[in-house]
Amino acid sequence: MNFKHVVKRFVGLISIMSVALLFAGCSKSAAHKVTHITYWHVNAQTLGGASVDKLVKKFNDTHKTIKVTAKYNPNMYQGLMQNLQSAQASGKVPDIVQIGWAFTNYFSDNFKYMTPTDAAQKFDKNKDTITKNFSNQALSFAKNAKGKLVGLPYSLSTPILYTNDSMLAKYGIKKSDLSTWEGVSKAAKTIKQKSGKYGVYIQEPADTWAQQAMMLSNGAQIKDASGKAAFASSQGEQAYQLYQDMVVKDKTAIHTPWNQGMDDFVNGKVAMAFTTVAQASHIKQSVSFKASAQTAPTFKAHKLTVPVGGSMLSITAQKTDQQKAAWTFEKFMYQNDSLLTWDKGTGYLPPTKTALDSSQFKTYLAANPMIKPAVDELPNAVPWTSFPKNGLQAEQDMIDARDKILSGSSVSSTLKSTQEKINDQQ
Amino acid sequence: MINNSSQVQNKIASRSGPEITGRFRYRLKPLMYLLPSALLLFVFIVIPIGYTFYLSFFNWNLIAPTKEFVGLQNYISVFTDPTNQKVMLNTVIYIILLLILNFIFPYLISLIVNFFIGKMKGAYKVLFFIPSLFSLVVGAMLFSWILNPVSGPAALMLRNFGMKLPQWTNSGSMAIIVICLITNWKVFGYNFILLLTGLGAVPRNILDAAALDGVPKWRVIWNIVLPMNRGVAIYVLILTIVQGLQYVFTPLNVITQGGPYYGSSNILYHTYLNAFVLYKTGSASALATVTFMIFLVLLFVEIKFVEGRNRDVE
Repeated sequence: MNFKHVVKRFVGLISIMSVALLFAGCSKSAAHKVTHITYWHVNAQTLGGASVDKLVKKFNDTHKTIKVTAKYNPNMYQGLMQNLQSAQASGKVPDIVQIGWAFTNYFSDNFKYMTPTDAAQKFDKNKDTITKNFSNQALSFAKNAKGKLVGLPYSLSTPILYTNDSMLAKYGIKKSDLSTWEGVSKAAKTIKQKSGKYGVYIQEPADTWAQQAMMLSNGAQIKDASGKAAFASSQGEQAYQLYQDMVVKDKTAIHTPWNQGMDDFVNGKVAMAFTTVAQASHIKQSVSFKASAQTAPTFKAHKLTVPVGGSMLSITAQKTDQQKAAWTFEKFMYQNDSLLTWDKGTGYLPPTKTALDSSQFKTYLAANPMIKPAVDELPNAVPWTSFPKNGLQAEQDMIDARDKILSGSSVSSTLKSTQEKINDQQ
Repeated sequence: MINNSSQVQNKIASRSGPEITGRFRYRLKPLMYLLPSALLLFVFIVIPIGYTFYLSFFNWNLIAPTKEFVGLQNYISVFTDPTNQKVMLNTVIYIILLLILNFIFPYLISLIVNFFIGKMKGAYKVLFFIPSLFSLVVGAMLFSWILNPVSGPAALMLRNFGMKLPQWTNSGSMAIIVICLITNWKVFGYNFILLLTGLGAVPRNILDAAALDGVPKWRVIWNIVLPMNRGVAIYVLILTIVQGLQYVFTPLNVITQGGPYYGSSNILYHTYLNAFVLYKTGSASALATVTFMIFLVLLFVEIKFVEGRNRDVE
């Protein structure tokens, strides 16, 4: 009896709800047409996902005719690229996506996208509504091999040198000596001799970003003006030789996967870590010693040059309505407030001049001094090398070269054969 | 009563009518029952294998409008490329190690638990089975932390005894061993339970008879229990080889990404790397086809020698 009663009430409730839904649907479609777009990002909850949700919610609340749905893609930019690849193969692509710099050429060669300049021209009747906020240098990060703007720079990062200041003080190492790689190598030796601990860890994820920074800061080129690999020069070799000596000969640098290396630094087993600014909040939260950061070291008498990390936003929508909605969303994302929400949530650096110069960002920097060296490096940042053809294979070849060199293979012959292999595919 | 030929004819006609439909039904019915699974198998297994085979003759990245036909080039490079050779060799090492860790080892333990231990059998079952409930990703991350040679708990503990953990991520063979151990942590309990259940099904009266005759325990196990438990053992053996290569994938992807310099990669991970990291669908398809052939041969060998012999015995 009782059960019957419950069922009756339940059925009643369901029917009322469905009628309500029906009417709600009617009133909406009668008032105005809503354009739905999807935004693909790589930000897990621990990597600023909350700020993505916050921005999307704010946009949806303030724009009644557009509804953005954010979709998280695991495994960073590579994972997003894999999903985009499948989406393209099945014919249903998202409307706006984050593209990692290393994929710039692969993306622009294989996918249909709308360049920011075209979008501004078409929807704003003005070529530089957004681009005027960027420096020419920042825009150069998002250009493909043909010099075409593929998207708008969204997240920027640079590599910096984190130090365990308690350890450095204990073994009498001055931080000013760490502005060159020669100085870092010497300090690492001192630490090894006095404590038996490792001196430095240079990040080793599935890309050679940090190693490219070392070569560039010794005056080497990764690729030359014609798009050919050129890192097997004497400067490139010299940079890798110092790295190999630290790992193989002196055993003062640790050679290990990224997460283990970061654990070693955070647990006080390695004195210095050369890695991305995006690690700043993780380091700040996890260390029990005094940690700080300084700009990336250079080789003696060479200018600091670092490849930029992070991603751009590209419009992959195919229909005009969706493109227009995506462009509106993009413009919202590049407002100062949105950019600052984003950068505080993720640890990335803002891509626009206006956001970098804003007082809000300056207050944020004052509270987070570890991020400051990365901002100081921005004028020295260059685009992340993206080879025009077979770029993904080229990146893999450079990872292979790093593996071989750090296992003790000859630096000069390994770099030469890798360079030849890459150039054969160009 | 039937008393003229036309009636006979009629009777036969009326009989044979239903008989034909009956036979038809008899033949068609099982096919109809099989149809749904056959259809699923065709769509999700046969077509993809066929398409993979087709793709192995092209250079293609999955989305480019044109596929470049390269003939047997992808197959030639599967066997001649030094990286592929290295990966093949690793695959063999993985299979051997996994056979020892995930088949022979749990078999030994289940024999001990079944025949030599009287108490706590239930507790062992539960204890060994617990890790199977965790996801391998969790296991891989956990072990990568525990076995961190510089700052992990294992290294800190060893330091108290003046010992050091080697940098296992920098050596292919050591990385392979650690990855196999992680897989073992996950699979051991499941295989153990399966084998133990098999051992429990060996009829009690045979064992009692052997005991009465004073046959030594090792002879009972060798000559009675192992042959009688063959069915389960073969199932676990095949599972170990086929699933082992797939299970290895997760810790590989989480910890070493196949490194150092493909030192810990296996054929499955290398196929994934080619297909979904480098988007070289052709090479990946050729690798997948070769893997498929190898498993086909293994299966054939298994059916011919192991199951075939079994039938002869019966």
